[in-house]
Amino acid sequence: MLWLRGDVMALLSESAKVEALVRKPVAAPSAWQAWRYRLKVALREPTTLIGILTALIFTYLIVVPIISIVLDAVRVQFGHERRLGKDVGDLTLYYMDRAFFSPVATDLFWRPLFNTLTVALGAISLSLVIGTVLAWLISRTDMFGRRWFATALIVPYMLPAWTFALAWTTLFKNRTIGGQPGWFEAMGLTPPDWVAYGRFPITIILALHYTPFVILLFGSALRRFDSQLEDSARILGAHRYQVAIQIILPLMRPALMSSMVLIFAKCLGEFGVPYVLGLPVKFEVLSTSLFRSIASRQTGVAGVVAAAIMLIGIITLMIDARLVREARRFVTIGSKGSMNRQSRLGKMRLPATGFAATIFILSVAMPLLTLALSTVMKMPARFTFDNFTLDYWIGTDLHTVALQTGILLSPELWAAAKNTMMIVGLASLVSGILGLLVGYVVIRTPVRALSVYLRQVTFLPYLVPGIAFAAAYLSLFAVPRGPMPALYGTVTILILALIADQMPYASRAGISAMTQLGKDPEEAAQIAGAGWFRRMILIVIPIQKGSLVTGVLLPFISGIKGLSLFVILAVPSTDVLTTYSLRLVDYHYTQAANAVVLIIAAIAYFGTLLAQKLTRTNLAEGLGS
Amino acid sequence: MPTINLRGAQKNYGVNSANAVSDLDLEIRDGEFMCLLGPSGCGKTTTLRMIAGLENLSGGEIRVGDRIIDSVADGIFVPPEKREMGLVFQSYALWPHLTIERNTDFGLRLRKLPKAEREARVERVMQTLDIAKYRDRYPSQLSGGQQQRVALARMLAVNPGVLLLDEPLSNLDARLRLEMRAELKRLHKEFKTTIVFVTHDQWEAMTLATTIAVMNEGTLQQMGTPNDIYDRPANRFVAEFVGSPPINILTFGKPGVSDIADKAEAYFAARYPQLRDIGSIGMRPEAMGYAAKLENVPQGSFSGEMTVTGVLPTGGSWILELRSENHTLFLTTHALPRVDSGDRVFFHAPAEALHAFDANGQRIIEADALLRNSTYN
Repeated sequence: MLWLRGDVMALLSESAKVEALVRKPVAAPSAWQAWRYRLKVALREPTTLIGILTALIFTYLIVVPIISIVLDAVRVQFGHERRLGKDVGDLTLYYMDRAFFSPVATDLFWRPLFNTLTVALGAISLSLVIGTVLAWLISRTDMFGRRWFATALIVPYMLPAWTFALAWTTLFKNRTIGGQPGWFEAMGLTPPDWVAYGRFPITIILALHYTPFVILLFGSALRRFDSQLEDSARILGAHRYQVAIQIILPLMRPALMSSMVLIFAKCLGEFGVPYVLGLPVKFEVLSTSLFRSIASRQTGVAGVVAAAIMLIGIITLMIDARLVREARRFVTIGSKGSMNRQSRLGKMRLPATGFAATIFILSVAMPLLTLALSTVMKMPARFTFDNFTLDYWIGTDLHTVALQTGILLSPELWAAAKNTMMIVGLASLVSGILGLLVGYVVIRTPVRALSVYLRQVTFLPYLVPGIAFAAAYLSLFAVPRGPMPALYGTVTILILALIADQMPYASRAGISAMTQLGKDPEEAAQIAGAGWFRRMILIVIPIQKGSLVTGVLLPFISGIKGLSLFVILAVPSTDVLTTYSLRLVDYHYTQAANAVVLIIAAIAYFGTLLAQKLTRTNLAEGLGS
Repeated sequence: MPTINLRGAQKNYGVNSANAVSDLDLEIRDGEFMCLLGPSGCGKTTTLRMIAGLENLSGGEIRVGDRIIDSVADGIFVPPEKREMGLVFQSYALWPHLTIERNTDFGLRLRKLPKAEREARVERVMQTLDIAKYRDRYPSQLSGGQQQRVALARMLAVNPGVLLLDEPLSNLDARLRLEMRAELKRLHKEFKTTIVFVTHDQWEAMTLATTIAVMNEGTLQQMGTPNDIYDRPANRFVAEFVGSPPINILTFGKPGVSDIADKAEAYFAARYPQLRDIGSIGMRPEAMGYAAKLENVPQGSFSGEMTVTGVLPTGGSWILELRSENHTLFLTTHALPRVDSGDRVFFHAPAEALHAFDANGQRIIEADALLRNSTYN
């Protein structure tokens, strides 16, 4: 028995022959041969060609404008030749000196910078405190109605931030500026300036607007948290709060830091809120200072400020990239441990629910209700029956200087709506398709350099706050250059800028969709005999239908809410809904402006719901990116 | 399909990275069922994908018969879609948006076959693989085993010259895997297709293949029949990779490190003084025996006294763990062991069951004749 193997071996040993390794050296291909082979493989399919084309397009749409505005900052601008004793286009440090060191530097740069930083820090601290508590209540406790709150508390993020700014002015506007008074003023309680305008309201509104960000990022980190880590600590005898302080909080740090940094980056580019609430008391942040420089045709200084904003943005997001890398070392996603463990709140259950409800009322219900009511009331804060009217929506022959019909009957609104649909729609469609193409090339091309370049160049606008990016576009396309005619005031410049601005999201969506798809289905088709075009039509596009729809829809929603790009690039004839409502604010048509903002908010909100429904995803997953 | 020939095939990802496959010569003859066997990361899947054309070469060439289909030096690259091969992916890679039937007839539609013939062929493979009843379902509605069958059917439908399989059974449970192995063997007979099969599972390779190519770190270690691989491993890597429990290795030339190795060295010096360059010898656990008393040890076999430290039943056979002062050996027995932990026993291995390797781990071929001619006196 024991000999069995040995016997078999003995029998076989005669016939079996060992094929020992026969290693004959094959001449290595020469460098030229290897290069020719690689080129042949690379050019066999259109992937690389498409990649090169898109890379060129994005270089022109993204890199060149940024270079152009940086150059503006260091070159003599039209109108300054005599003062500087140089020709237009010569190198100069005059604008940097003016923005950073001259007597007006405080107004141009330093105070706006200080205001930006303090507002951002205030907003971050406030939203972190509120957001972490809410995230914990929603994801780890038995608070009443936590499923409902999970959606309801995210709503502020779906709406444009300056919706809340308008609601704030509707309530707190005082006699410092003209137009219809705010509700409190009308009731005889004059709010002081610091409540009505400037740092305080801006900070509060940004905090409320970005709290959902913390809820989403921190909440998803909490949900993914491996509760085995928690259990281990408790089995070793740690109390609940010891677990929270020693285990959970340290592991959550990357998620917290990351939301902080992202909120900061968003605050940096925020324009609408400081414009509405800061201007009356000359409270300037970097974005409004940039806007003022552009509006007063200070191209050189605008270049300096825009470059500074970009630089801060880039540094911020580099910090974020570092944090994300760090977070990866903290991966706590357990296989089965990541179940949703609930803490019992006990006596605190009702107060906790009350807290969540208060935040909901403050950040969603009250602002929206105020806006809605303001559009149907003739006089502010007078709640009598005869004061209510639908005139501002559908009235005709109103006795006003302009806008003599309700907003829904005004041709300007419909022109703006049409423009919005066309500009944002077209840009979203193009960027959605380009995003998928970029995703395809990035994942598939055998030319690594191309893949890396495309990935990075399409991500670049993310580092640049929208207002600075718009300034860059203005700098490049305001005058004819080469074969390009001057585009300022055209629809084209808006569409191009919007496409470029949306590329980070579109290309990321495309890349992640293609990564998820993997190579296998396409390779299987290739093996079955399908060439490139057939594979695209029969396999790739049908499978990616869903992500293509999201890739168009999500940029569309963010484009509808978008203000900072348009406010610089749009002119009255190319008004979109957002700039139209801002113009109405400037003319003190409060009811009409609020109505337009409500329309935008409704489109954004229902669009987001639609996108979620179509893709069966949660907004939370798309936000951190 | 004519013989597929890889000559000096090479693959590296990036200039500075190590070769995934280096200087690989491989010949796959018509009708062969070849297994590429090796640990993960050994380059076997890369080799398969190079044959399919999904991976470009960094050097060398691939021929089918006399035709070069891939060559860096000649600048020839026949794309995968023109190679007329079939490939079953580890993930199956069924197209999620197409029904089972559309998945299966995809290749035939591309080849613009007349409808009647197409349907007949699809029907035949669907019947053969027992998936006809799922024809209108989508891949996500099928179980892993069923998806596996569809992936096979999809490739068999076009009657490829060679069927490449990339660890296709690794995602199935043990029972299904056994069934699919039998199925593959049957299909190989029925369709007479050349099959190249990648696996890290030695039993899968042993049971299926007509030829096994063992790879490690991107190089071919040995190519031969399953019995060759098992009985005459070309080097220590192959000897240690194939077989479970793994082969016992005794390293020579380090006196004092292992008493058993020292004993083996003395045994070889006494009986085979002409073998000078032995670096190590190997003994398969299942080729060894044990005896309670010295007089029961067969004459001429290599043996030594050790202590039983473990009796591990594996169902139908037992693994004994034996320890001496500084060495541990495993041996397999099919008879109920009448020993227990702590007992002293004599292990023994006949000379012909010993594998001799040189200092570089290569098999000493001259030793085979000597060892296997030894008699039992």
